[in-house]
Amino acid sequence: MAEYAPVDLTVENQVEFELDGRRVAAPAGTMLADACYAHGVEIPIFCYEPRIGPPIGACRMCLVEVEGMRGLQTACSTPVAPDMVVRTTTDAVKEAQDGVLEVLLANHPLDCPVCDKGGECPLQDRTFKFGPGTSRYVEPKRHQPKPLNLSHRIALDRERCISCFRCVRFSQEVAQDGELTMQERGARSEITTFSGDPYRGRFSGNIIDVCPVGALTSIPYRFVSRPWDVQNTPSVCGLCPVGCNTELTVREGRTKRVTGRPEPNPAVEEGWLCDTGRWAYDASWSQARITAAVVREATGDRTATLEDAVDGAAALLRGRTAGILVGTAATVEEAGIAADLAGGALPGAVVARMGIPGGALAPLRALPGAQLGDVDDADLVVVAGGDPSAQQPVAELRLRKARRFGATVTGCGPRPHALEALGTFIRTAPGDLAAGVASLAEAIAAATRPVVMWDEADLAGEPAAAEALAAAIAANPAARQLELGAEVNGSGLRALGLPDAGAVLDAVRAGTVDALLLVHADPLDAPGRAAWDAALEGFAGPVIAIASHADATTERADLVLPALTMWEQEGTLVSMNGRVQRLRPGARGPEGAAAGWELLVALAHRLGVVPGYRTAAAAFRAVTAGRPAFAGITPEAAGVLGVPLAAPAQVAGASAPPPASGEGVPLVATRTVYGGAAARRSAALADTAAPAELRMAPDTAAAHWVNDGDRVVLRSSSGESGRLTVRVGDGLPEGVVFAPLGAPGSPTEGVLPADMAPVLVRVARVEAG
Amino acid sequence: MDADRIRAHLDPIRHEFADPRSLVMPALKFAQTEKGHLTREDMAAVAEATGYSPSFIESVASFYDRLYTRPVGNRVVSVCVTLSCMLRGADEVWDALCEHEGVDHHHGGTSADGRITIQEAQCLGYCDKGACIQVDAEETKGPYTPEEAVKLVEELREAPTPAELWR
Amino acid sequence: MPILNSVYRHREAGRPLTELAAYREAGGYKALESVLGETDADDLQYAFVRSGLRGRGGAGFPMGRKASFLPKDSRLPKYVVCNADESEPGTFKDREIMEMNPFQLLEGLTLAGYAIGAVRGYIYIRGEYEHQARVLDAAVRAAREAGFLGKDLLRSGFDYDITVYRGAGAYICGEETALLESLEGKRGQPRLKPPFPAVAGLYGSPTLINNVETLTALPPIVTRGADWYAALGPEKSPGTKLFSISGHVVRPGNYEIVLGDTTLRELIFEHAGGLREGRRVKAVWVGGSSVPVIGEEHLDTPLDYESLQGIGTALGSGGCIVMDDSGCIVRACLRLASFYRHESCGKCSPCREGTSWFERILQRMVDGDGRMEDFELLESLFRRVSGKTLCPLADGAIAPIRSAIKLFRDDFIRVCQEGSPRPEPMLPASVG
Ligand SMILES: Cc1cc2nc3c(=O)[nH]c(=O)nc-3n(C[C@H](O)[C@H](O)[C@H](O)COP(=O)(O)O)c2cc1C
Ligand code: SF4
Ligand code: FES
Repeated sequence: MAEYAPVDLTVENQVEFELDGRRVAAPAGTMLADACYAHGVEIPIFCYEPRIGPPIGACRMCLVEVEGMRGLQTACSTPVAPDMVVRTTTDAVKEAQDGVLEVLLANHPLDCPVCDKGGECPLQDRTFKFGPGTSRYVEPKRHQPKPLNLSHRIALDRERCISCFRCVRFSQEVAQDGELTMQERGARSEITTFSGDPYRGRFSGNIIDVCPVGALTSIPYRFVSRPWDVQNTPSVCGLCPVGCNTELTVREGRTKRVTGRPEPNPAVEEGWLCDTGRWAYDASWSQARITAAVVREATGDRTATLEDAVDGAAALLRGRTAGILVGTAATVEEAGIAADLAGGALPGAVVARMGIPGGALAPLRALPGAQLGDVDDADLVVVAGGDPSAQQPVAELRLRKARRFGATVTGCGPRPHALEALGTFIRTAPGDLAAGVASLAEAIAAATRPVVMWDEADLAGEPAAAEALAAAIAANPAARQLELGAEVNGSGLRALGLPDAGAVLDAVRAGTVDALLLVHADPLDAPGRAAWDAALEGFAGPVIAIASHADATTERADLVLPALTMWEQEGTLVSMNGRVQRLRPGARGPEGAAAGWELLVALAHRLGVVPGYRTAAAAFRAVTAGRPAFAGITPEAAGVLGVPLAAPAQVAGASAPPPASGEGVPLVATRTVYGGAAARRSAALADTAAPAELRMAPDTAAAHWVNDGDRVVLRSSSGESGRLTVRVGDGLPEGVVFAPLGAPGSPTEGVLPADMAPVLVRVARVEAG
Repeated sequence: MDADRIRAHLDPIRHEFADPRSLVMPALKFAQTEKGHLTREDMAAVAEATGYSPSFIESVASFYDRLYTRPVGNRVVSVCVTLSCMLRGADEVWDALCEHEGVDHHHGGTSADGRITIQEAQCLGYCDKGACIQVDAEETKGPYTPEEAVKLVEELREAPTPAELWR
Repeated sequence: MPILNSVYRHREAGRPLTELAAYREAGGYKALESVLGETDADDLQYAFVRSGLRGRGGAGFPMGRKASFLPKDSRLPKYVVCNADESEPGTFKDREIMEMNPFQLLEGLTLAGYAIGAVRGYIYIRGEYEHQARVLDAAVRAAREAGFLGKDLLRSGFDYDITVYRGAGAYICGEETALLESLEGKRGQPRLKPPFPAVAGLYGSPTLINNVETLTALPPIVTRGADWYAALGPEKSPGTKLFSISGHVVRPGNYEIVLGDTTLRELIFEHAGGLREGRRVKAVWVGGSSVPVIGEEHLDTPLDYESLQGIGTALGSGGCIVMDDSGCIVRACLRLASFYRHESCGKCSPCREGTSWFERILQRMVDGDGRMEDFELLESLFRRVSGKTLCPLADGAIAPIRSAIKLFRDDFIRVCQEGSPRPEPMLPASVG
């Protein structure tokens, strides 16, 4: 984990001081620990974690000598001052370091050989580097009950804890979930939740990363591997559009662990991950994983080798006009190669992307954009629509941090959500986001460095609000917009210029295509599913799916090509803020599977048109060539931390959705990343799976003749939902119902149109609660 | 104790603090008056009444010696065992009381009938009255000989608790 | 018997002054009346500086100087906090003031508030002093009713009120920043300094923190004049001090002495009635348990800050614990070590782990399992911990033990080999 704050040694007006006899400089206000690190001198630390908050000076590991100051000073909390004379290697300093390590180790078990942290443990490392050789502690060590489960995912071994307060400060100050605290006092101090309840949090896993010892460990990773027999690979999370940078720990070809990056990306996640991103990796080998190609024949399904299956797919497609549908989590390479097929191997193919058309969002996207990291120094953060905690989890942490740094937080939207507690929020009626936006304009105009976060799905559905918001932002030249995107690689697919899924759907309906190729696309589980169901009903042509997991669409397909997942393949994703970042293959994936882009290249070969690229990097160059959004961006330039797109990822056409029609009550749908689709596939996250619930206020429930606990289905002009359980709750606005997207079984998706435009639903009880 | 009662207790003093967090301690002390210790429900009620997380409330409660997050007897007898009182026979008083109540000589504890808790106290600020004893959180007295101390707990065993008296 | 030159009106009067009328009769609130609307706050601060009054909570920092550190132009409200946590073993002087003379403390706290322009004063009183807290509550009510607290005091335009805040049992809450944390409703764990409370204290506002005895000395300084006070005792340690004396003395209690005028021997043998028949002084912790212990040879040291510092100990809180030669020094050290282990807040590692370790080693010694290398080990641990912790609690744990090992090495060696049988206590009965 990042331990020291990055120090920029290039900015103007640095303070000069003396470090172990050298004349060096650092920006005023930099803490000595960070300044020393920047100049190659490691000051050992335990409690200091600049990302968590200001120093607390608790572990006393970082003592150094500062001339003219009485006693030793904690380098973590002493800012550099002009001409300060700092000594870090004197006998007094050494003795202090020795002393702190000695007392910390006095009661620390010597179980490094069986500790998951062994080999990557700051306490172990610092003991080697700075510590005493032998222990003089002859008393019996303090014993604690053996490791207990802090939650389904985190084990706590109290004997190993050195009370550095990092985990509790993370919980209290960064996640602000109020769950983990230090209890009791003195040597009996221990970290715990309220009465030992399980730790309930969406970001709980970060405490494992910040723990400098093996006290907090990941249960799925317990005893799985040792640091010396794993490889660590920096990658990106492909579960939501935030694009958090991750580190994959791989052993024997499998992803064994996902953690925050040791060198975090300050522009995105700053090293923090949400629990979904951290633990969903076991979906790689879940029940639903497709491990071999499936050929569906009249006589039944049969599995095939990859070779045969690709041959089979080519045979099915040859001579046909294909519709190619690219899913929202497909990489730039996959989408780009798919688009390329239309110009060569599959002439005349119609290629489109799933996700929100978003034509109405052009004016917003054209405004100066911010990266998540820019939220730190905003004085005002506006959240227009959406529910970042549920839909773009790590954005929540950045928002909380901005608030801690003194920013005013305000916003509007139709959903009650967790971040509303950070400031004044205006509850808007569904379809009337414009009213909320209007009331925010003044604050945006008055702020010095405002950042306006806006929800893609909500604003796409309300063009008037989008237009008003764009105007409000444009009115303040200092204001920047930050898109809270709805889909993993939505920006990447738009940047490639792919039209929305309607193009393929229309072609299927019109019969102008007679084969269908789905690339990580599952339209039968997505909004608009009713339309696709109907369209595919009478579709006679072959359906070929490239997919990693079984879903409604692979069930329907005639041939399924098993694809690798985001933990296993190379590729490029563009975050909601237009950051181009690279997936790096960690694990190998099942024998019989291949990366989506490789499958597409192989398909092109079989169809007789050999593409001019054979690697993912070359494919990236080829498919982004001539795309203004990607101008100047190469895999090398993206590097480890990624680069922003050269131009906003716009789409042509002003396809403003029609206003909600039909009759019934407005439905507000929220995509849940925590407890959503990933939870369905991951054993580690199974207990988080968000129930398929329809929430509403008491009077609304009464008006629809339903009670808490009833099972209902919804009907809209777009279709019918699966079963949902009614939850009547106080504090919800009347006259609107709320349901999650991505709940197990995707029940809500059925009533929504593909463009996620607002809908009215009728609530029908099918079973009393 | 329920959150409304705690709120009602806090209302008159709310204006005295620029940050409502200062109300946590008065709330905990008040909540403890009902059962003599703080139950999970009491702490949850304090959390509700003050707006801080239950875990935070418990972390505060568990820090202080005179807030009990585990059950105690009807009367809590705290024997000061710090240096000044030790020099004046606190250990003898302690041993006599532990013996008499049948509780552990190292840690003290609650008598089998649940009426008396014997616990060690650190300097109570009555060193001139050593060996001194505090009863509940109310009154400290001394000096006590072991015999007088035993007499005291016998009286306490019979006497109604302040809460019982009040009812 | 009324005491000459007493700074405390209840001592001067020879009776408790818990009623406002009685306090008024004894000259109470004259200081506030003479100052409010008449004296400029800065002049009042200056009078405190000139009086030479030093903090009576332990560190002995000049009170007026501390008040002058508060920023004059802060936009934040300012506060005065009275440290009534009195938990230092052997110290019970603040208790006497609060139970016998609550109004003088309130008056002093109000004067301090006026001098720095505070909006409110808080008395943070240890939870165990419930009786004293009730006396203060009643006094605050009476003072408020009489117009000595509240809005527009004595029509001077000065608004000021006082809150009595009860702790809940934690010695560390006597440390000023831990006290502030506790007063803010949190765990009483010390804060990093800087910033000092004078700049960012309670709720981040500039805050003046003083001990009960310090604040209670302010009214007479105003009425009799700073010069009068400064002339009492030695130049650098002026004024009177309440010494709490306990342990193996015949008349334990509080005694007010003019600093520098009285020797330790006089305090023990004249004021406190000496020891039991046939006993000699073995060890004295003269300023509470956190100061280095001294032996018989230092009995003729005058009691004031400088003289005590001169012999390697400190005046501290004035909680003087006396042990005669029936006591075992190793046992006494163990008892103190247990105290500090129990009271360590657990925030910083050297104190949390160190205090436990000290206790373990001393326990082994008392059990007769001490080893010769334990002396070296203890000394090395003391060196490694002292001065390196977040707050001075650990230093307070180390000072009495480290000094005892130096002074009574032979006793330690003997105990290491033979263990320490429990000594005969000084039971109340034998005091008579
Ligand atoms: C561990 C520790 C305990 C303390 N306990 C007390 C105390 O109980 N009462 C007190 O007045 N000062 C105590 N102090 C000193 C205070 O921190 C602070 O210096 C004092 O309240 C300032 O007031 P004064 O200047 O009037 O002495 C303690 C200090 C430490 C380090
Ligand atoms: S569990 Fe780890 S992070 Fe938490 S206090 Fe202990 S050592 Fe620090
Ligand atoms: S890193 Fe400085 S005290 Fe812990």
